[in-house]
Amino acid sequence: MVVKKMIISVLFLAFVSAVAGAAITFFNDMTAPTIAINAEREEQATLRKMFPDGEFAEIGGYTECEEVLAVYEVKGQGYIVKGTAVGYNSSTPIIVLVGFDQNGVTTGMLPLQQQETSGYGSRCFETDFSVPAYTGKSSAEEVDMLSGATRTSDALRRIMEASFRVMEEVK
Amino acid sequence: MWQNFKNGFIKENPVFALFLGMCSALAISTSLNNAIGMGVCVTLVLLFSNVIISLMRKLIPDEIRIPVYIVVIASLVTIVEMLVHAYAPALYQSLGVFLSLVVVNCIILGRAEAFASKNGVAASAVDGIGMGLGYTFALILISAVREFLATGGIHFANPFNSEQILFGFSIDALKGFTIPLMSGPVGAFLTFACFAALFAMLKERAAQKEKEAQKK
Repeated sequence: MVVKKMIISVLFLAFVSAVAGAAITFFNDMTAPTIAINAEREEQATLRKMFPDGEFAEIGGYTECEEVLAVYEVKGQGYIVKGTAVGYNSSTPIIVLVGFDQNGVTTGMLPLQQQETSGYGSRCFETDFSVPAYTGKSSAEEVDMLSGATRTSDALRRIMEASFRVMEEVK
Repeated sequence: MWQNFKNGFIKENPVFALFLGMCSALAISTSLNNAIGMGVCVTLVLLFSNVIISLMRKLIPDEIRIPVYIVVIASLVTIVEMLVHAYAPALYQSLGVFLSLVVVNCIILGRAEAFASKNGVAASAVDGIGMGLGYTFALILISAVREFLATGGIHFANPFNSEQILFGFSIDALKGFTIPLMSGPVGAFLTFACFAALFAMLKERAAQKEKEAQKK
């Protein structure tokens, strides 16, 4: 009797789960394309912050490393490297976009995600520092560091070194 | 049935009277946008979970009713989450993890166990909508106060196109006198406490009137 009851319960639960799984699969198939389109549109909007009228295409053909998340070619204008490294805040890695013109000279740096200490590491991303520090540089050594923000600067240096290395390979 | 529906608003308002679903009510009531979005999602889940569970109430073996409820509720929440992600991405981003956490919103499981498992489909559907709207109503009250005090204005944007503002005002004279604290957890508790007290007072008064009527 107990066994019979158990079997019925198990079968019932399995049946309910199967129906639920089927319903979720159906809605996933329905929404997945829209979600993918939205994600791509958002990515394009972010890239457009660096090259407002650019056409972007993700490219490969470089030695992969942990600092480089993606490389985009901006048609006729240059390249964008999406780089990441851990700075002072170990739970939130820094993610930045680094723009390059066609000769591999930087056009700017744009933070996408950073939770570095306010007033210390965060100063690396304030435009009055970051615009002169990250514009018109042709090697990682030329990029300025910021004293008092050693760990953040070091993370950015690693991103810049990887970005310039990747640029040598793709441009 | 109308009584059931009305109960959800004042006398048995899930947030202010039953103190259910408070975690999400406190966390996402920072803006009117979030409040209405979350309220609609919870109402939808509550309506469908109540209907489905009421339909199955005679089939579900008693020992496994809670796991069955959870499977039903979790699937509905996942489906609603996918729909919001696809068609209202701005809302999806601002609700964040709290949208998935609707699964553990005790209003839904509570109504499944206390109402839908004992009542017919139509009554359960009405109860779901009533409770859902009661929750939405509570969120709107809290969030309107919090958003107004924290930013000096109230805005509601079209959830399907975040740039189109459907309704909104802001009072320029309040610039510089806003209270950012109100958008934090402290503000949530303060606002919630005031409303809970107000609702308790209303209930107390109604009960007293009833007593007096009985004496006569």
